[in-house]
Amino acid sequence: MKTRRFLAAALAAALAAAPRPAAAQAPAAPDTSLGGFLGAFSDSTDRYFGVSAAPVDTAGLDTVLFDSALRPPRRLQLGGAPTFDFSRVDGSTPGLSASLGVTPPEPGHTGWGKLRGGIARANGPRVTLGDVRYTNRLWLARQPFELDLWGGRKTAHLDRDDDDLLTLVGAFLSGSDWTQYYRNQGFEGSVTHRHGWWRASAGYRDVLQSPLRTTATWNLFGQDLETPWNLAATRGRAHELEYTAAARWPRLPLHTEIGYQTSSRRLGSDFEYRRVRAAAGLDLTLGRFASLVPQFSYGRLTGDLPPQASFYLGGSGSLRSLHRDQRGGSGLALAKLDLIGAQDLLALLHIPHPEALPLQGALFAATGAGWGRDPYTGTVVPGGDWPDRRGWVSEAGASLLYNTALFPTLHLSYAWPIGPGPHEGRWTVWFARPLDLLRSEPEE
Amino acid sequence: MAALLTCLTTLALAAAAVAGTGPPPASPARPSGPTLAAEDTMYTEVPPVLVRAPRVTLDEILGRVARGERRRDSLMTDQSVLVTARLVRNADRKRPTELLTETILRVYKKKPDRVRTQVLRDYKARDEKKKRAGVGVKVRARGGMDEEVVNFAFRPEARRQYKYRILGRDLVGGHLIYRIAFEPRSLLDASVPRGVVWIDTNDFVIVHQELIFDRSPAAPFIKNVNRVVIERQNVDGYWVLKRVLLRAETTIPLPQVGKSFDFSLRFDDYAINRGLPDSLFAGPAEVK
Repeated sequence: MKTRRFLAAALAAALAAAPRPAAAQAPAAPDTSLGGFLGAFSDSTDRYFGVSAAPVDTAGLDTVLFDSALRPPRRLQLGGAPTFDFSRVDGSTPGLSASLGVTPPEPGHTGWGKLRGGIARANGPRVTLGDVRYTNRLWLARQPFELDLWGGRKTAHLDRDDDDLLTLVGAFLSGSDWTQYYRNQGFEGSVTHRHGWWRASAGYRDVLQSPLRTTATWNLFGQDLETPWNLAATRGRAHELEYTAAARWPRLPLHTEIGYQTSSRRLGSDFEYRRVRAAAGLDLTLGRFASLVPQFSYGRLTGDLPPQASFYLGGSGSLRSLHRDQRGGSGLALAKLDLIGAQDLLALLHIPHPEALPLQGALFAATGAGWGRDPYTGTVVPGGDWPDRRGWVSEAGASLLYNTALFPTLHLSYAWPIGPGPHEGRWTVWFARPLDLLRSEPEE
Repeated sequence: MAALLTCLTTLALAAAAVAGTGPPPASPARPSGPTLAAEDTMYTEVPPVLVRAPRVTLDEILGRVARGERRRDSLMTDQSVLVTARLVRNADRKRPTELLTETILRVYKKKPDRVRTQVLRDYKARDEKKKRAGVGVKVRARGGMDEEVVNFAFRPEARRQYKYRILGRDLVGGHLIYRIAFEPRSLLDASVPRGVVWIDTNDFVIVHQELIFDRSPAAPFIKNVNRVVIERQNVDGYWVLKRVLLRAETTIPLPQVGKSFDFSLRFDDYAINRGLPDSLFAGPAEVK
């Protein structure tokens, strides 16, 4: 025993006397020649930036004006704003929104999240709408998971794959609103995990879905409604599971996404359907002058075919020469190709313009088809896994794009239909990201 | 190795021979030996040396930079630094520049992500029209010492978002400095800049960076960001941020700021790995 203690003491003494490993790990100090090299850079920077780069006057820095350690670790952040919405099914819908959050936590820590809510009065059907949404980033096993919970009553679009921000403007000003609506009342929740180049999410919703009818026929300029009717959703309670996976492929400019929704009577749902939608997009750079963005999406719905689960074609997010949601089906195929210039188009053309208005030019072509059961007529358009050759609608056109830090890119487009049928072009204005067939990624 | 030794020996011999045959120096302490004429100059040829070591590829350099930056971060456990944030108006105009705000912070950081900030100066130029303090800038220090502002384009996860090319190499004393340009693969996002970094290949860390925005990253308010410079310095053997400087022009005059401004961050008075106690980062309930 004594020998063992002696050995332990001797080992400890030897370790204490040994050179510190930290000294071996510390990087070597740079030599003066490198200091001179970097100093030359600094001198040039000093000359360019002048007073901004000047050394600090450290006089009077003895007093601490504010110390973060003496601040409460969590502070409430309240927000609120009036809201206004308008559609032919809800009429004018004034309301209030509010948000409640706490100081964001340090990276890698789970905070208290953010609570947002709103209440609004739909003056058309004289119904009160309102909802509460809770979002938070949970850190589990050092991995981030985005939690999104929603509950309440809201008016939603039948085309669940496309969300046009400017629907309100056309409907309110001139009655130009081709969007089809239905009512959702219940609960939705999802968890999304992002890991490097891929992300996956799982969600569940339990909502009572009900049809809506047109209740407001007026608009600001007194125009006739372009679509005085609203496609009726199938009434029922939907219990739906949703799975989504998306990837931005390493070393490739390829983005892909697949989403799968299933609603089953075994889950207590009134609907029995399987809905799958896949999308892919490439972001190809042509020198420093332009981007070529081909996109493709494909969707199938099987089982019950309620309008609220069907696919829709038309509008700024798909085929711009068609009105929004103009065609529908239980199957959808869509291909788009955009050539987007990177330079300021007006500057290239030597056209005087305000500096705040750099416009990019773009050319586009698209083709798409819907098949299967048409939600509008109930007729079955030929096509199995792929649309009939005669079902395709094609178009080409040009756009002006305005990129801002405030909202997604603003597009002003003119689209010409190609092929048989009427050849009347359409102007469209909308906000969208360039790869708009893929859902936007959750914020960092 | 043998070829290299042969070459070096030959070079040394040749140098000695040339030294011996040169014109006599003025110094009286000239070593004794035969005096030769210029016509007697001897010539020699150095045999070619075949270097078989392959040139380091750009991929390998990028991999080493990622590892070098990670190692740089791993060497630091705590840090104390004096941070100065400034906003200066009329930076690029004929009119005299004016310091609008200067905020000086003492920032303490300890891994993994603890941070404490003490504001030591909070200067705001007075808005003479409204007779009150003018524009304010809020600076918030975040935990961690990975300095993403420097290496954002050289992280492993960013490799697919950028294209890289070697612009050149500079031999500075015992340091080989690589100049590498990077630019985003996608032109769709105007807020992502291209730029040039200077990499010290002794540690494979970025020592200097300049960023270029081809388009306004924040239209319609910002006309363009004219120049962004990010400098690092070596403090006690650790590469850390020295300055971040940005000059931008606005499309419309911003209240009190005008149409051109500089924003700068300066990092001084570092103390690294001094063993900052956990109690330094205690919350208000724990601070006595």
